[in-house]
Amino acid sequence: MKLSYLSIFVISLGMSITGLSQDDLSPERKQAVDSLALEKVRDLSKYISIIGSKETPWSEANRVIERAEELFMPGSEIGVSSLVRPDDISYYNVRKYFERLMRLNYKKVEIEWYNIEYMSDLQKQPDGTYVGVITIFQKFKGYDAEGRLVYQDTTKKDITVFVERKETQIGGRLIGFWDVLLGDMRVKETTP
Amino acid sequence: MNLLVKSASKLVILILAAFVITTGTTSCKSKKKLAREQAEKEYAMKVEQARNDLTAMLEGTTKWSLDEQSRRLNKIKSYNIDDPEIMDMITRLEAKISMEKAEAERLAEEERLKREEEERRMKEATKYEKIDNELFAISSSTTIDAANKKITLSLDQFESPDVPVLIIISQSGGFNDYDRPTTISKFLNYLKDKQQYKYKVVSVKRNESGKITELELIKK
Repeated sequence: MKLSYLSIFVISLGMSITGLSQDDLSPERKQAVDSLALEKVRDLSKYISIIGSKETPWSEANRVIERAEELFMPGSEIGVSSLVRPDDISYYNVRKYFERLMRLNYKKVEIEWYNIEYMSDLQKQPDGTYVGVITIFQKFKGYDAEGRLVYQDTTKKDITVFVERKETQIGGRLIGFWDVLLGDMRVKETTP
Repeated sequence: MNLLVKSASKLVILILAAFVITTGTTSCKSKKKLAREQAEKEYAMKVEQARNDLTAMLEGTTKWSLDEQSRRLNKIKSYNIDDPEIMDMITRLEAKISMEKAEAERLAEEERLKREEEERRMKEATKYEKIDNELFAISSSTTIDAANKKITLSLDQFESPDVPVLIIISQSGGFNDYDRPTTISKFLNYLKDKQQYKYKVVSVKRNESGKITELELIKK
């Protein structure tokens, strides 16, 4: 998904706009929304680790792929880099990325995300949605059948986060909720 | 000679009688005066004491409780002191005590409601402890199989795997903010994946057969 912010705003205009009471978030509510978005990125971190792990049963990995996909906006892409070709970053749609991750040619894979934090805070857009960028560092380790570490790298990635206030009816009640969706995950830097 | 003696005796008696009468009257008058003076002195002291007490109560420099102040005020009122300043102080003190009593009653009521709310919260906190424990057990399972078994058991108490799960992310001004609603099946698996349970059940809806039809949690 290579949409500029401007394009995203235009698309967002078609989305539901929240009521006046939701327009100005108190610092406490804003903090809760910020935390929610960070939590979704941590969820993704966990899912990537499960999907990538060779110990995860195939059925479980597929179930987790479904859950992980739900975290993203349709059409989002995830960047993949390698120390072998650091300038050649490939972008895959989310489903494809997870399927490749599941089939990586290592006997054992360890993926760990750390330093998950906002690079750009959630900012309210004219259409009422919030957009921010979260940076993560991913440590990847691949082992062969003998248990030797055959590849490792650390990648810095930026994830665009979209947060939108929505409403739905549940059990006759109108529930106002914050829908957090992740956008593109772009590779910023790959180091050994 | 006898006549002279008799006359002299009469005169002495008369003089004595006059003396007794005269001195007796003077003594009575003096006692009344003393008593009046004493009463006036006591009244003045009483007024002075009343003024001091009223001032202390009005300025809040006394350590008397509100009840003690009321009793003292009633006592002072019973003196019927005819002094405009004292009467004004009494009026002001009556208003002050009445206001402070109302405030004390309001605070007592507030305290009572707070206690009731605390008791209710304590009761609520343990109301869903069993479900919280079950959800925590899923998240802390050591293997996927163990977690899946617990999920299957847990799902049995829900009307269906699609029962909605609402997660409150913040509460302010009596208003709840939720995460995107999910289903119980997805939520239980989420707990298994995350290996973390940082929620608390706040409400549970059940159908006629006791199966859960809606689960509401709050993020801790």
